[in-house]
Amino acid sequence: MSDILIPTEEALAEAPPPTRGGGALRYVLTKIGGGLISLALVIVLGFLLFRVLPGDVIQTMFRGRPAAPEQMAALRRQLGLDDPLYQQFFDYVGRLLHGDLGESYVYRVPVLQKIGERLGPTLLLVGVSTLIAVALGLWLGTRSAWRRGNRFDRVATGVALTLWSTPTFWLGMLLLAASSGLFPTAGLVDSDTPPDFLSQAVDIAHHMVLPTITLVAVIYAQYQLVMRSSLIEEMDADYLTTARAKGLRDDLVRRRHAVPNALLPTVTLVFLHLGFVIAGAVTVETVFSWPGLGLLTYDALSNRDLPLLQGTFIVLAAAVIAMNVIADVLYRVLDPRVRAA
Amino acid sequence: MVWRRRGAAFAAGWREFAKQRTGLAGLGLLVVIVLLAVLAPVITDQEGLDVTKATGGTMEPPSAEFPLGTDRSGRSVLLLTLWGSRMSLTVGLVATLLSIAIGTVIGILAAHYGRWVSATLMRITDFFLVLPSLVLAIALSTVLQQGIGTIILAIGLTSWASGARLVRAQTLTIEARPYIERSKALGGGHAHVITKHVLPAVLPLVFVNTTLAVGSAIVAESTLSFLGLGDPDPMRPSWGTMLRSAWLDSAVIAGAWWYLLPPGIAIGIVVLAFTMCGRALESVLNPRLREG
Amino acid sequence: MGEKTALLELRDLSVRYRSGTREVEAVRGVDLTLDAGETLGLAGESGCGKSTLAMSVLRLLPTSAEIGGEILLDGEDVRRMKWGRLRAVRWTSAAIVFQGAMHALNPVRRVRDQIAEPIVLHSKTQPPAGELRKRVTELLAQVELPAAKGDAYPHELSGGQKQRVMIAMALACEPRLIIADEPTTALDVIVQAQVLDLMTNLVAQRDIGLVMISHDLAVLASTCQRLAVMYEGRVVEEGAAASIIAEPTHPHTKALAAAFPTVGDPEYRYAPATNSPLGLPDPPAAEPAATDGEPLLRTEDLRVTFTGRGRVVTHAVAGVDLEVRRGEIVALVGQSGSGKTTLARAILGLQPPTSGRVVYDGVPVPATSRALRAYRRQVQLVLQDPTSALNPRHSVYESVAEGLRIHGLAGGENGTERERVAAALEAAELRPSEEFMPLLPHQLSGGQRQRVVIAGALALEPNLLVADEPVASLDASVRGEILALLLRLRAKLDLAALVITHDLGLAWNIADRVAVMYRGELVEVGPVDEVLREPKHDYTRSLLAALPTTQPTQA
Repeated sequence: MSDILIPTEEALAEAPPPTRGGGALRYVLTKIGGGLISLALVIVLGFLLFRVLPGDVIQTMFRGRPAAPEQMAALRRQLGLDDPLYQQFFDYVGRLLHGDLGESYVYRVPVLQKIGERLGPTLLLVGVSTLIAVALGLWLGTRSAWRRGNRFDRVATGVALTLWSTPTFWLGMLLLAASSGLFPTAGLVDSDTPPDFLSQAVDIAHHMVLPTITLVAVIYAQYQLVMRSSLIEEMDADYLTTARAKGLRDDLVRRRHAVPNALLPTVTLVFLHLGFVIAGAVTVETVFSWPGLGLLTYDALSNRDLPLLQGTFIVLAAAVIAMNVIADVLYRVLDPRVRAA
Repeated sequence: MVWRRRGAAFAAGWREFAKQRTGLAGLGLLVVIVLLAVLAPVITDQEGLDVTKATGGTMEPPSAEFPLGTDRSGRSVLLLTLWGSRMSLTVGLVATLLSIAIGTVIGILAAHYGRWVSATLMRITDFFLVLPSLVLAIALSTVLQQGIGTIILAIGLTSWASGARLVRAQTLTIEARPYIERSKALGGGHAHVITKHVLPAVLPLVFVNTTLAVGSAIVAESTLSFLGLGDPDPMRPSWGTMLRSAWLDSAVIAGAWWYLLPPGIAIGIVVLAFTMCGRALESVLNPRLREG
Repeated sequence: MGEKTALLELRDLSVRYRSGTREVEAVRGVDLTLDAGETLGLAGESGCGKSTLAMSVLRLLPTSAEIGGEILLDGEDVRRMKWGRLRAVRWTSAAIVFQGAMHALNPVRRVRDQIAEPIVLHSKTQPPAGELRKRVTELLAQVELPAAKGDAYPHELSGGQKQRVMIAMALACEPRLIIADEPTTALDVIVQAQVLDLMTNLVAQRDIGLVMISHDLAVLASTCQRLAVMYEGRVVEEGAAASIIAEPTHPHTKALAAAFPTVGDPEYRYAPATNSPLGLPDPPAAEPAATDGEPLLRTEDLRVTFTGRGRVVTHAVAGVDLEVRRGEIVALVGQSGSGKTTLARAILGLQPPTSGRVVYDGVPVPATSRALRAYRRQVQLVLQDPTSALNPRHSVYESVAEGLRIHGLAGGENGTERERVAAALEAAELRPSEEFMPLLPHQLSGGQRQRVVIAGALALEPNLLVADEPVASLDASVRGEILALLLRLRAKLDLAALVITHDLGLAWNIADRVAVMYRGELVEVGPVDEVLREPKHDYTRSLLAALPTTQPTQA
């Protein structure tokens, strides 16, 4: 080699500079691909769980209830249970691709239609609760970590741990018992509320108070604890010393330098814990008879309505997977280091 | 020599743990609760759980005879709560052990073997991680025969993913250490590296994780039972099934707080005790983990 | 302010760290003065208190630190300043170039914003965006970085570029004093030379006072007019750089000076600095006799290629033919990223080669892990950082016995496991061996740890040691001892060694032959005396030219 002269720093750099445009698309596609694989797994799992594991699906559905043999035979035909298993699987996937999740055994309507009806209230409850919980958790976690070990930290962490240790539904029941009369205890909206938008909105908000408090109480603690520990991790970082040396005030060091770095792991966890939020929603909706997907799941399992349960399982799982793909893409926007990887 | 040193390390760890008041309090609580659960058949009579032999009235408030009142069928809530601890603790512990065992094996394998083994295992782990585990557990317990085994399986099979992630991360950290490279250069194979270096370094973390996970498993048990997926046998109550009965019997509306509070508080205390122990352990082991 | 006011004056400065009941005195009664435009080098090994001293100037120490004495910055005592005043003084009166720019820059903010931050902070009115941008571009230009680099995030820059950004940042508020804490430690020789040049020039042009902290006396000698040597919290020697280098009086200064030998000076050839009573073996015969015949180890057209994401192909090792003969010490020299560590890993069978092969004692090294085990008894590895090369949970005994146990060698004709461990510890000069056996790594010093690693290798009675930067993470005074040990082992056991290093001085100290690696290829191979005295290849020449000389610059 004759072209060797004094090497430039570029040549000595540890990693080649990232290729921006192509890399970004690649990253997004990889994440979406991963999400699709997960989705396929959910679909297979849905089949295995509800068609293969129960042994006799019809027995499971009629568990505890008397049923005429011809009724069972009709249902068996309707669900295609007499076909060989692979045939059933292809039928199942084929129908899924057309958006057909089967028909609810109890409600006698397509599962998808039933889920569609219940989607709105769940989105409202989960959305509002998550926003409040994230804001509350991040704020408390930041304050706790920055003055670690003081009274505020001890109290806030103690309360968070206690709430985190409490079963959601029990907390809901206690709230119901404690606030009897102050807030409505069941449903989305009263039937005698005037149909205009404002009245409806106010009434829904009124109904939402208790379920939202319960859900927030159960999920904010996670965000607080995660934020607290990731900020504590960052607090010894050298770049904070740099920031102090520049003459920044303590709160600026925290806001501008420490928190943005600590926020990144927290963001991932917020999304990873969505399944936990969904679990909370199932029980909260059950306790407060909130007409969402959670209550629908509860109804389905109480009535052994397997097609409906299968539907809610697939839809909830798919929703969480989709949210996680979005989180991964969002993470890339937030963290410049991931962009290079 | 090795054992003496391990003993000394344990003693030092214990002294450090004993300094943490919350951890000690948690441990004390756990000892008392486990004792009560184990001794329940000795200090009480299981007959009292039989609905047909119940002596009290329907939802009686606390009295001298029934310090925590009675449930709808006239059974003592105190007795139910005592016996409930057996079920809740058993399910919590066994389900956690199952979950941690799966998580640890998958985590270590995924980190140690890399390439497609790792890719496949992590794909599966990520899948279980994002899957709403309660919904999956509901599905599992709906389709399987109701009972304690199903509940344990449902919780254990749906909660291992975060443990696997944690163990994998820790294993990767350990495997990046030059002493692993040295061990390989000395001629050590996979088994040697995993058993002599990786496992001992990962176990403290696994132990902490177990302690913390028992709490979640107990809450999960109560939730599944509350939703009607618990053990239906009235002679084997759990705190979750008690709360379900309270709910179905409209204890909230009836204002029967003695029916509502004990099982919930019991869950809260046990979970908090495990969490306090786990966090204390974590802070004892963490500096060493960082150093190691 | 009067003419007499020094830029920085430390009077009887002491710093104590309290943690619980323990108390550590990091700095004990230091007096130092620096006038405007002067350059002062602060030398010392890790733990001597030099970094604590630097941080105390802007009161950046943790709250557990207790400061005594006076720190006068432009005549004003930093210790007595109110918080507001202190914040105003930080970065405007004195700025710091931190060690490890990797961590000292915020990873999620663009470097432009990080450079601009102190400017905005310390100006009374918010400067207009355009002006600010111009100023940052100007600062980047001063450190010879294109304006476009301002939009980069720290991880997108090389080590040298990051250090340049740190310097630009330090210049942002035009301070009269810059404190540089190990500014070039993590950098390669050539980049180090560039960064040092840049700093010296900028400081001289602007009449800025500079306190430069380093463990490397040569770096300080080539940039500073005055030197102060710290040892155990005290300044043990102070004076003009030239005279200290020429005639060090304190034994510690002598050790530091000897640790960085002058390449080409016969005084240092086969003579690493050692105080050991065992002395140094005689240098080997001028030319190793057996140049013919089968070498102990050779590589044939060895190649290792990595395919990264996006099918970026890296030829880490691009066709290397290297020989190591019996009882010979070969130094493999190159900068980070030259592929030398990958080559070592491939030789040890830790990295499967893409093509080519390694031949040991005339037999090709097998690829399967079972067959490799026998080979690994013969060729042993010594790693760079002994602290992380030992399992912190394993005692010295267990660490040394590990290899014996893997190969099932205990209890053979060469004695029980315990006897063999004892023998290996003795060979690595850890005496009395019985006392070291039960200790854990954290109870040992850095040098002792490296001896344990070496003992672990010796226990298997190998014929070749592959040592990857064996002294890079050790203090200067220990460096010579470990190198002397390698020379004695060679003399006693006829042990060959392949020493991988970035340090030409090390090669000059102990190696018979040197191989210079650049971009995965060996560009020059030959006897040390020839290659380092009369380099033929441009790259070897540039490496030699970049070495900091102990001939101080004249101001």
